[in-house]
Amino acid sequence: MSAVTKPAAASAAPTRPAEPSKAKATLTWIALVVIFGGAAWLSNAKWSEITDVFTEGWRYLGLMGEGLFQNPFTEPWSGYWTLAFERMMESVYMAWVGTMIGAVISIPFGFLAARNVARPVTVQITRAFLNLIRAIPELVFAIIIMLPVFGFGPVAGTVALGVGAVGTLGKLTAEALEGIDPGPVEAARASGAKGLPVLRWAYWSQVLPEVVAFWLYRFEVNIRASAVLGIIGAGGVGQLLGQLFGQREWEQIGITLAVVIVVTLIVDAISGAIRHRIIAGSGQHVSSKEKAEASL
Amino acid sequence: MTSQVTTASAPVTPRPKKPAPSIPVIVGLVLAAVFTWWAGHSMGFSLRPLIENWSNGWVVIEQFLSPNWPFIWRVWDAWVETIAIAIVATFIGAGLGLLFSFMASRVTNRSGWLYRATRWFLSVLRSLPDIAYVLIFVALVGVGSLAGILALILFNIGIAAKLTSETIDAIDRGPLEAVDAAGSGTWSRARWAVLPQILPNYLSYFLYVFELNIRSSVVIGIAGGGGIGQVINVQFSRFAYENVSAIVVALFVVVLLIDQLSQYLRRRFV
Repeated sequence: MSAVTKPAAASAAPTRPAEPSKAKATLTWIALVVIFGGAAWLSNAKWSEITDVFTEGWRYLGLMGEGLFQNPFTEPWSGYWTLAFERMMESVYMAWVGTMIGAVISIPFGFLAARNVARPVTVQITRAFLNLIRAIPELVFAIIIMLPVFGFGPVAGTVALGVGAVGTLGKLTAEALEGIDPGPVEAARASGAKGLPVLRWAYWSQVLPEVVAFWLYRFEVNIRASAVLGIIGAGGVGQLLGQLFGQREWEQIGITLAVVIVVTLIVDAISGAIRHRIIAGSGQHVSSKEKAEASL
Repeated sequence: MTSQVTTASAPVTPRPKKPAPSIPVIVGLVLAAVFTWWAGHSMGFSLRPLIENWSNGWVVIEQFLSPNWPFIWRVWDAWVETIAIAIVATFIGAGLGLLFSFMASRVTNRSGWLYRATRWFLSVLRSLPDIAYVLIFVALVGVGSLAGILALILFNIGIAAKLTSETIDAIDRGPLEAVDAAGSGTWSRARWAVLPQILPNYLSYFLYVFELNIRSSVVIGIAGGGGIGQVINVQFSRFAYENVSAIVVALFVVVLLIDQLSQYLRRRFV
């Protein structure tokens, strides 16, 4: 009975709850505006030149389009397409070999940085080393060590990409190893396995799919990173882009950028499909958690 | 009697057969090996210079090992510029990225063609490396931090929109049903049913984008986009490696500090 009368009484005296204070939100907005305004002023950007983006931008975009819509089977356009494609493939090769180098080196570091494999002191030292590599951009590796040793060309860039990949891949491998099911390890130990066989059959088999997915993801990242290395003369499509922008060859730039976009999208699609297939196993179902891990 | 049974049955238990090797895996491994060989071969890959030319590298490394510390403070304006560029680009890029993320999720975008167009646009945007954007904007507005800011904005839109739209795809549908039942339109639906759910994740992506921008400041500067990278570029071309190494060490410290700061902010607000 009382249950019926209560809502009736409430509707008889409708008191709207007091609105929560907005002071905090207002203060946050003011702070954000101040930070943004201060940064915009401190950045020394010549904001007045932003109009050039629209005036010049359309003109250059038109020139790039002109290059794209020329018959690609006539001279000199066929040469531009071939050159862009060759250089882009060089970037893909650099990324692939670099990733392979990084992957192979990162395996022992991954084991040494996993808390359930190595001793705490080793873990701390290895993690500090991996963090150091992660903090230094590949570009710096290339400038410092690779160019003087390997000279200008794709090999310097490849080795720089490989060294740069060790940091991330080692860390991700260690995290994957720490997340394994301890059951198989116990089982292997109980049946008398020691040392390497345990690592190989109890630890490594459990993380292999995840780790290979990380490698492929790193390959996708390295394709973009190899373009950056080209700017300082380490080969690939970045070197071509640097030259073309220097000479303002807009028609050829349009062609090259189109090749970069198309090849990157195709490689991403293939690598992404393989990653999902590896993580999901032979089943068709991919859970959202696995997807999230794959996109790490 | 019972012991007889167990002893008799034990040797009979056959050892499980070794599973047959899977053909797709073998084909995949062979393809990967062939591709690796072909890639290495076509660019003339060899690690021999590592031994032969090690002395060349050692000269540079020696200079690197004696950094010119005072140089860090002499270029303090470039540091301020780098951080300011990163802040401005993060605000605009991640802000626009939020807008695009709503357009790139089936949950919030009920128009089929606009959804597909946005997804397509975003994947094209992400397929170009950051350096290409810097080169384009340096050609458009000239060398300086404006080119760096504009390039980072485009780069940030792609990252922020991808991460946030994946979060939107995974939200709880309850509030959506509630606002739909109350008859809300597309905008108020996004604002009141979706945004509160994704806000913590979005803030963490926002901080992540800011970290990325600091990390890529070297790349931005080398291509002419202003900030500390430009200083590195100038010193590198003068072979002043002791100055470059001081900057690299300082950049390392800055990245670590910003990582700590953003971890603190994440714990606090997310």
